[in-house]
Order: sequence, then structure tokens, then C-alpha cells
Amino acid sequence: MNYIALKMLMGDRGKYLGIVMGLTFASLIMTQQPAIFVGLMMRSYSFVTDVGLPDIWVMDPKVQFVDDIKPLQDTKLFRVRGVSGVDWAMPMYKGMIKARLADGTFQTCNVIGLDDATLIGGPPVMLEGRLEDLRRADSVIVDIDGARDKLARPSKDPAGKPVPLKVGDTLELNDRRAVVVGIAKTTRTFQSQPVVYTTYSRATLYAPRERKLLSFVLVKARPGQEVHALTRRIRETTGLAAYTQAEFEELTVNYFLKNTGIPINFGMSVTLGFIVGAAIAGQTFYNFTLENIRQFGVLKAMGAGNGTLLGMILLQATLVGMVGYGLGVGLTSLFGWSMRNTILAFKFPWQLLVFSGLGVTLICVFSALLSIRKVIKLEPAIVFKG
Amino acid sequence: MLPKATLPILAVAGFLFGVYSVVTGNQPPPVAPAVVEPARPPFASYIAGAGIVEARSRNIGIGTPLPGLVKSVEVKVGDRVEAGAVLFRLDDREPLAELEIRRADLLKAQAGVAEAEASLTDANTLLALADAVADERAISAEDIKRRRNAVLIAKARLETAHAQVRQAEAQLAAVQTTLDRMVVRAPIRGEVLQVNVRLGEYATTGFLSTPLVIMGDMDRLHVRVDIDENDAWRFRKDGKAYGYLRGNSQLGTELKLAYVEPYIVPKRSLTGDSTERVDTRVLQVLYSFDPAALPVFVGQQMDVFIEAPEYTGSTPNPQPGEGGGG
Repeated sequence: MNYIALKMLMGDRGKYLGIVMGLTFASLIMTQQPAIFVGLMMRSYSFVTDVGLPDIWVMDPKVQFVDDIKPLQDTKLFRVRGVSGVDWAMPMYKGMIKARLADGTFQTCNVIGLDDATLIGGPPVMLEGRLEDLRRADSVIVDIDGARDKLARPSKDPAGKPVPLKVGDTLELNDRRAVVVGIAKTTRTFQSQPVVYTTYSRATLYAPRERKLLSFVLVKARPGQEVHALTRRIRETTGLAAYTQAEFEELTVNYFLKNTGIPINFGMSVTLGFIVGAAIAGQTFYNFTLENIRQFGVLKAMGAGNGTLLGMILLQATLVGMVGYGLGVGLTSLFGWSMRNTILAFKFPWQLLVFSGLGVTLICVFSALLSIRKVIKLEPAIVFKG
Repeated sequence: MLPKATLPILAVAGFLFGVYSVVTGNQPPPVAPAVVEPARPPFASYIAGAGIVEARSRNIGIGTPLPGLVKSVEVKVGDRVEAGAVLFRLDDREPLAELEIRRADLLKAQAGVAEAEASLTDANTLLALADAVADERAISAEDIKRRRNAVLIAKARLETAHAQVRQAEAQLAAVQTTLDRMVVRAPIRGEVLQVNVRLGEYATTGFLSTPLVIMGDMDRLHVRVDIDENDAWRFRKDGKAYGYLRGNSQLGTELKLAYVEPYIVPKRSLTGDSTERVDTRVLQVLYSFDPAALPVFVGQQMDVFIEAPEYTGSTPNPQPGEGGGG
């Protein structure tokens, strides 16, 4: 019987491909669009993930997301350091500073100031140079994407490609000289500004004059110290906001979810993908059943029970569902893989596999239900009509 | 016709590729480790503060009592000098010339004394001659009186001459004092930390942002710790303290309380930059340590941890005004 079902399904190549195509596209859209969405959202807090080392971020209570800097007094660092359960606490400067490039154009950069002694919070991967080189005078480390693109020098040949920023080149940050001593690989951020790493005290010199400059205090909990208890203690004793890394990421994502149209846009794409996929696959599957209604009739006349026919249809639906799902997921991965070195945000977590699997299953169940209804109502006598 | 297995195989391959990209695409990013291990507090409950190292005597910025060109610099950076040792000398040609004049004045005054003495002797002799005449008719009373008065005048002239000698001596001493003030000496025994004055430069008086010479007593070093005023109530004099060097948290030493400055000041250390923004007030506590314990230099920053009660612990006994001078 199963063989007949498969033969029936694959016998009509056009219909078979049609159903599979519909499901493939549904599955593709339900993974690829959310993957871009997740990628974009993860970029909003990629800086926090990149820093990685501290357990807790301490900041002004009114900070809404990672780029919303509300600086603190410098002595807050020592107040936080004095909270028991804190293993270490380090200052971090984060701010937008205008860099003047060799050709005279200006580019806003994300300047990160790291603790002078320990350089905690540095870039995750150094492609050239070492993090310790930041100890040299006027030194900065630039991220590779910024060095290749936004901070690159224009080529002498007007049609040529811009020359990437190299180790040893100089920049001007707020009229002060900065020498590139290293190139780092960082995860792209939402705004995709070039990232410039330097020491905290140098960053305060580059920064425009402000009374307060300390953006974040990075805290590591003592071994054995429960992190949430520590964030509570820091909040109580200093009056500042303290978040664990995960909480800070969540805060940032929630800000973007709430204050930008991104989730609605992508939500609509995903819904449309689901509806179109369901419509195409469901309709084609139903048509396919209708066309094969005679065969089902014959089978029924030959004494096949409703259960058998139902099993056949379910088998057919499962097969097209799995094929469509597999192809869709594969295409999404191919898409992600081919775009891995571009500016596109793409992140494929396992939840999306489950999500699109559920979506395709829903479509298949819906299509199968339509067909099953038809087949069960079928009178075997239809075979002998017309 | 398509072989039946093509699409399912493609689908399985696609699914596996999907799983592969999920696994590889979600590796946590690597984390940059700390270049240097940060200093860790040795206590369960403590106050943290930034300290700056200074000499026990504080860092003395030596000034000059008189302005002038620098004639010679007698010390080098790092010299250990005794109290009173010459640090530098100013151009002293003018007072030296003046000294010669004053010496000549003294000689002149001394000559005046001899002259006055001679006049007195002369007057005395004339008076004695008159007194020796027995016959009253041989000499008039007026003549005798004149001779007596001449002696008195000569005596007064001698006193004037002596006074002039003293005046000349005092003037000479004044010039010598001026000369002495053109030599700047070490006020205490200690080490020369900085020499900012060079031969031929003009040294001015008054408070200078860059002192001419900086010296200090380096037998023991002090570390001046800034404690945020919000934490000041937790400070205990009997709390233990440890200080760690920036850049190598292995280098630390126990600190002994030297004194507390009982006056809260606006924070002004850290970078030492004169344009540094004042944003809070701090209690300054001074701890001393043996300079042999750490490879440390005056002016260097340290991370200091001071044992202190918990924030939510028992209410402290207020002990204001107990800070002693060092």
C-alpha cells in the first residue's frame, strides 16, 4: 500500500515538485527571515557578548540599552570595587568620537576605553598586533571591518579600491593623534560603526569635555559568589544599575523590540511566508488528491479501509513535508553560508529549526486534513461514473 | 523522470547542512583574557581606593628666597643629601660688588675711629698742659674751658666714629646675608627627586607649578589613598590595608596607617593632570610602607584595599577629628 502511495505521489512529477516547492519556500522564508531578524537583534548587544569576561555590568540606572551611555563619576568605580563579593571591578569608556581621516572626511567611531593596567574588555580576536601594544603612546586598535571600509584611505587612483587602514597608520580623534597598533576582529554591531579600542585614560583625552566620563564598571564576581545576589547588593549599596551579562543583553534587545519597527516587519514576512506556503502546498496537495480520487476510489472498492487510505495520505504528506523542510533549511543555510562575509546580519539558532519544522508540519496537517476529508467521504461508486 | 531518491536525499543533505550551520554558527565568541591579572581584595569586606605614592615628608618643592639667574646646580636627581647641603646657587656678582663697597666703608669708618682717637689725645694733651700751669694769671679761665670742651667734643666724635664702624659692620653683614640667601640649601635630609632648574635659567620666587627642585624623605614611603566621601564612614583606623602595584597584582605589600587628613578635599589625583575634572570629594588617608618591599616610584598609582565593615553591618561609632598630623 505504502508503495502505491509513493508511486501515486511521485508519478505526477509536476504536482510532486509543486507541493515540494511550496513547502520549500515556506520553510525557507520561515527560517531565513527570522534568521536575519535574530542576527539583527543579536547585533544590538554583540558588544556585550564580545566583552565576555565580566559577569556584571554596572551603569547609571537610567541606561536603556548598550549604546545609551549615561556616564558616572570616576569614584563610583571604587565604590563598586568596595562591595563585598566583587572579585574585581574595572572602568570602561564607551562613546562616539569623530575621527578625521587622511582625506579630510569625518567618521564617527565607537571608542572603547579599557582599564589602563589590565586592558579588560578588549576585542575577542586580534588579527594583527597584540592587546598589550595599547600601552604604547597614542596607540589605538581598530576593528577589521572599520579598517577595511569606513576608515580606509581613498585610493590614489580615483577608480581604485580604498586602501585599508594598516598598523602604523595614524588617525585624528578629536584633534589628537592616534596611532594604529593593532587590528582586531569584533562582532558587527547594530550601527556598524568602526570600533576603536584604546586605554581608559587616553579615551578620556579623546572624549569631548564632560564632567563625567565613566560609562560602565565591569565586575567579576568572586568564585562561589551568586551573581544575582551580587547585582542586588551592588544596586543597594551604590544606587547604580547592575545587570548580569544576560540581563544586559535582554535589556538591550527589549529596547530594540519595543522602540523599533524591526520585529513587526519581520513578523509580517514570516506570517506571509507561512500563509503563501500553506496556500500553495495545501491547494496543490488537495488538487493532487482530487486528481487521484479515482485511484482512491478503486482502492476503496477493492476493500481498502478508511484507515489504510488515511495512512497513505499521511505518508504522502509526511514525505513532501520532510523533503520541503529539508530543502528549505538547506537553502537557508546555503544563503547564510554564502553571505557569511558580508554586512548581512544572519544568525541561525536551533530554535529556528524547530520553529520552521512546526510551521511546515502545520501546513502539511492542514493540507492532509483537506484531502482526508475528501477521501473519507468518497463513495467507491465514483469510479464507475463518467 | 527523476529518480525517486533524488529529492529526499537532497532534503536530508539540506537538513544536515542546516544542523551543521546551527552548530558552527552559534559557537560563543572567544573572550579576550585580561592582559594583567587585576588586583584582588584580600578581605571579605573592604573599601577600595586609588592611592598615589609620595615621600614620607611629602614631596617638597624647593623654592628660592630671591629671584635670579642660576649660577650653578650642585645636586643631581637621585642624590641623597644632608640637611643644609647646597642645592643650587644664584648669580651673586651684584651683592659681591656691594660687599666690596661695604668693606671699604668699614675700613673708612675704622679710619675715622683712629682719627677721632687722635683728636681726643690732642685735646687731652692741650687740657693737661693748661692744668699743669700753677699760676692762674698765666692762663685765662676762658682758655681752660675751651680746652675742656674740646676734650668733650673729641670724645663725642670718637663715639660717633665707633657707631659708624658698627653701622658699616651691619651693612656688611646684610650684604653677606643677601649672598647667603643666594645659595639654596636642602631643608631636610632626603633624596633629590627632580631638578627642574638648569644653569643659566632664571629662578623666580613664589609658588611654582613646576618646583625648581623636588626632594623628599625616602626612608619610608607613604601612599595617599582617596576614599570616596560616601565610603568615608566605613573607614576604620584599625582596619588592615594592602596595596598592589598597577600592572602587576603580584606585587603588593601590607600598609601601615600613618595618619588621616581630617579634612575632606575635592578629588584631584589619578592622572595628576591640572585640568582633571573634580567630581567628588574624598577623604585622604596616608599609609606608610617600606620602599624595599616594592619596586615602586614616587608618584606611582596603587590599588589599595582597606578592611572595613559591611555596608549593612552595625552602625559605626563616630570618631571625627581624631586624625593626627604626620
